[in-house]
Amino acid sequence: MELLIQSIVNGFIQSGFYALAAVGLVLIFGVMGVVNFAHGELVMVGAYTVWLLHAQYGVPFLPTILIAILLVTAIGALMEQFLFRPMRGDPLGGLICSIGVLFILQVVATVVGGDGPSKQVPPPYEGTLVLWDFLRVPYQRLFAIGVAIAALGLLWYFLTRTRLGWALRAVSQDREAASLQGINSNRISMIAICVGAAMAGLAGALMAPLTNINPHMGHNVIITAFIVTIVGGVGSLSGAVIASVLYALFHTFVTTYFNGTVATISGLLIMVLVLIIRPTGIMGHRVSE
Amino acid sequence: MVSKLKRSDRRQFLKRAATGAGAVTTASLFPHVAFSANKTLTVGMNIPMTGDYAPWGLPGLYGCEIIANNINAAGGIEIGGETYDINVASYDHGYDTEKAIQGFKKLALEDEAKMVMMLGGSTVAACLPWAMRRKVLTTTLLPSDITPDSEYLIATCESHPLYNVTGVEWMAKTFPDVKTAAIVTNNDAEYGLQSAATYKAAFEVAGIEVVDTNLHGFDVTDFAPIVSSILAKNPDCVCMATSFYVTPIMEQLFHQGYQGKIISCTLDYYQEIIAKTSEEFVNGTIYQFPDFDDPALTEEGVTFPDPAGFDAAFRKDHPNDWSAVAWEYPAILLNWIENAKAAGSVETEDVMAAMKGNQQQFVFGGGNWWGSQLWGLDNALIGRWPVVVIENGRARIQEYGDVAAWLAANKDVLVKHMQELGLRTV
Repeated sequence: MELLIQSIVNGFIQSGFYALAAVGLVLIFGVMGVVNFAHGELVMVGAYTVWLLHAQYGVPFLPTILIAILLVTAIGALMEQFLFRPMRGDPLGGLICSIGVLFILQVVATVVGGDGPSKQVPPPYEGTLVLWDFLRVPYQRLFAIGVAIAALGLLWYFLTRTRLGWALRAVSQDREAASLQGINSNRISMIAICVGAAMAGLAGALMAPLTNINPHMGHNVIITAFIVTIVGGVGSLSGAVIASVLYALFHTFVTTYFNGTVATISGLLIMVLVLIIRPTGIMGHRVSE
Repeated sequence: MVSKLKRSDRRQFLKRAATGAGAVTTASLFPHVAFSANKTLTVGMNIPMTGDYAPWGLPGLYGCEIIANNINAAGGIEIGGETYDINVASYDHGYDTEKAIQGFKKLALEDEAKMVMMLGGSTVAACLPWAMRRKVLTTTLLPSDITPDSEYLIATCESHPLYNVTGVEWMAKTFPDVKTAAIVTNNDAEYGLQSAATYKAAFEVAGIEVVDTNLHGFDVTDFAPIVSSILAKNPDCVCMATSFYVTPIMEQLFHQGYQGKIISCTLDYYQEIIAKTSEEFVNGTIYQFPDFDDPALTEEGVTFPDPAGFDAAFRKDHPNDWSAVAWEYPAILLNWIENAKAAGSVETEDVMAAMKGNQQQFVFGGGNWWGSQLWGLDNALIGRWPVVVIENGRARIQEYGDVAAWLAANKDVLVKHMQELGLRTV
């Protein structure tokens, strides 16, 4: 019973990272029609920023998170302005450009951080919350899940309660119809990638004290984000969040009761099964021709 | 005329100044080579310097450069009547087999390296056919790379993971209440499974029951569920056989309130682990790789010259890069030099004959060729190996264990566990 409760808590905390990484990917794909393969590297840049500024130069953790978000947002804006916009209407071109950005960011990280071991960030919030003598949650993880929930809440508010959010959803549903309503799709695309990149930067910054930081860490992030996105329904933000929670719980339970390799293989199998049985995912909708 | 002479003088001056500046610049770029009349002897390092495996490559290059600089500054080494300066040529294969082959050929053919040091595993296996055909003396840190046909492949320093038996022996002797252990390690056959089999054998011999063997992949981003799963078995000891993820596992053990013994093959960058957990938590962790400022390295039998001086030089130039391999590649280089001196030649067959014909001095003392029982050739040099424990936040040697004696008594147990995990034995 104790292991069961600990596993549920572990799973929920992990779902926060998955959701932050996946919603950005979904947002960019939904609005711009681009599969951003460099999304995992945006997460990596967020983590490296925290390592560099906080762990190496002693900048306080909270300002570092903001700087990470701003930096990754700026990278996203540059990608949209100089790569994705000229490639608009050519999904393959956008995809290839994003793969190029992926390699560039990995090399930049190697140059900045140097070769050698993975980078470590000492946790700014030390200690562990202990409940009922058996349930243990590090404060750093509590902080991370709290911030992740707040960020996802803000995103939900932005998308459902603001005119800009409505415009963004409109473009993601039908770019042409949205343009006919006077919505500037270029501006909306820029906002979408900035919001998506900001989420990725935040995910990386929050993960930094909890994981091994290296130039290739984005690889695992993007695989998980793809699984979550496909299971949730491509283009569906709510689907991505629900799938994040389900996948994180599933992965955590299989890792705990079987092992991590079985968990990863099972996760990929579920993605394949979803693609075969319900290609629209949990919350996706079939689009008529 | 006067003005002509002046112009000529000025030109001469400019020419000489430029030549002098060029010479000074060149000399400062190659301080130990520029004015040396010695011949140059090149040794190669075909290692990962980038990527996940870089911590087990790059620090070794730094260490070898220190050794080479010291030798060259002292006037070089005399082999067969010739005096040589040592040149360390390196190639970063990033743990990619194709690049490893390319790097090996580059080192052997272009740089004319007389010996090539490698980490081990698939990158060594990829190079072996060419290297053995060309008779290039090759070294590995993983003696499981040795095959009945790999005549010129030797493991003269680390015999991963055989030395781990010494840590378990010491723990069982020092902490007799440790009765159960859980093993966590990478699921690869080169490092993780070899280590898991060795630890299982060592635990069996020590009378410690293994209650869990948790094999994980290289894609783990969250170790919380893995550690929860291990701790649910209530082990007296958690054993990190050979994990690339020692830091996050230690962090989770700390946060999930683990209070038992911890034994590990490596504990690279343990100061970072202390920063992420606490000194009190990390104290008592048992592993196998000493810092070289350890007073116990001055004991009789240790052959590494001036370990403390080496440690200081390394940490001065590369303060955050010390890892398990920092001294291992240098130890291999020093062993090869000693044998080349004894052979009076730098050619592979002569050096190998000296190695096999003379009593070898292992870096921590002892030294016998071993391996035919497991891999088909006696090409692994087995000697004493230190058991290291973190005390007051510093790595300190507790004793030197006898790997050869353990193998002589318990080889069959090891073979049984290797075969159970599907590992190759002869």
